[in-house]
Amino acid sequence: MVEKIKILYVDDEPENLLGFKASLRIDYQIITATNIAQALGCLDAHPDIKIVFCDQRMPGKTGVDFFEEIKISHPLPVRILLTAYTDVEAIIDAINKGNIFRYVQKPWAEVDIISAIDEADKFYLANSMLSVKNKELQRAYDELNKFAYSVSHDIRGPLSGILGATNLAREIDDMDEMKEMLMLMGKSLIKLDTYILSMHDYYSLQRGELKIGEIDFNTIIDDLKDIYTVISKTNQIAFNIIIEQDEVFRSDAVPLKLILNNLLSNAFKYQDKNSDTKSVDVIVKVQNNLATIYIKDTGIGILGSHIGEIFNLFYRANFQEVGSGFGLYNVKSALSKLNGQIEVTSVMNQGTTFRVTIPSI
Amino acid sequence: METKHSFIIVDDSELDRFIIRKTIERFDKSLHIETYQSAEHALEVIRENKDGGSKLPAIILLDIHIPIMNGFQFIEEFEKLEPNIRDNYTIVILSILLSVKNPVGIGNKLKKEIVNSFIDKPLTLEKLTSLLTQIRSAQKIR
Repeated sequence: MVEKIKILYVDDEPENLLGFKASLRIDYQIITATNIAQALGCLDAHPDIKIVFCDQRMPGKTGVDFFEEIKISHPLPVRILLTAYTDVEAIIDAINKGNIFRYVQKPWAEVDIISAIDEADKFYLANSMLSVKNKELQRAYDELNKFAYSVSHDIRGPLSGILGATNLAREIDDMDEMKEMLMLMGKSLIKLDTYILSMHDYYSLQRGELKIGEIDFNTIIDDLKDIYTVISKTNQIAFNIIIEQDEVFRSDAVPLKLILNNLLSNAFKYQDKNSDTKSVDVIVKVQNNLATIYIKDTGIGILGSHIGEIFNLFYRANFQEVGSGFGLYNVKSALSKLNGQIEVTSVMNQGTTFRVTIPSI
Repeated sequence: METKHSFIIVDDSELDRFIIRKTIERFDKSLHIETYQSAEHALEVIRENKDGGSKLPAIILLDIHIPIMNGFQFIEEFEKLEPNIRDNYTIVILSILLSVKNPVGIGNKLKKEIVNSFIDKPLTLEKLTSLLTQIRSAQKIR
């Protein structure tokens, strides 16, 4: 059911209010006020009022004064003035000062009011769409700014390192030193490559459409298991997986894999290199159309003061390993596409647990 | 005789630390060099003046884009140190600069008396030589 349009009507004569309400209440939700103070109270109490009708001749303040005031304090509702034909001055003021959308002549005919409401509603919709689009644009610009900065730093950084190394290579005679440098150059290249791959993830998440299908978590995890079993063996990190899924779960496999892959990659990356008992646990439970996923590591942990920022684009809370500052941001974007949530708990030098919940679509 | 400087390298990139160290060694093998991955750690050592116990004036080659405490935050903290500690150090920003006119976008935020100069990565022997020439001639005037 479409919700009724909320309209505020302000008039000091109660008969007018009653008449207005009587003829329009079936199709619209009408709120009335007999003075300006009351009207302002209504606007505060109902922020979803779309249209405000106001009589010009009111004790104390005029309708124009009222509109001039709410233009600043409550800019969203569309303003319509009710006035007698002879009030030319008032109409001019209302247009110039109160930026009204329309004026309706008094005594009003129902058909005029209804047409004014229809037009005002379209205007309100267009305006609110515009403001939503504006917010989206602003966000996109902000991210673009971050991008321009990050691209120049995160791509030029490794490149300038490799350039410096090639300059230096001409002067190095010692083979061991050369090998050490080549190893470091290789690390820089991997970092650059990771960065570019994550940038691709970022882009496809921002622009891609969802492709919903049935998800078998066993299959999804199996794909990832192959990659991480190797890392688990070479670095002596125990890798435990528990999957409980007895019901159908619908979602998009691509962002889902991205989420799991990023969290797993972090769990393996940020292990305490000196610890003897290293492990990564994955627990997936699907119940009542909700998937709950735990990814638990025995790693270095995240400092409490950084936890709030780890999901921000290009934020890095650690020196260890090659962080691009993309990973968790991409996780969060992917989750917001799937209507999912993420929580993190972490204890320094003991480990971090990410808890992800995703509803079946 | 010219005063010799020791060097403190603050950079999170292993490759960059390697290059900076080797470049300094090519300039003069006998120079004392310390490297730090974290600005916090470097600051702690400077604060306690533990850097090898050397009373030599040190040049800090500081990267800006470092996780946790970045170069700017390092400078902010450095400014709070006692003047007699500060006087022993010359800060040179060695980082990826976006433009020479407005290095790293906020050049005017930094006080000239704290930051001696900016060098765009990678460090080369030429850049290092001209930096040291400039620092040494400034000290002669003083």
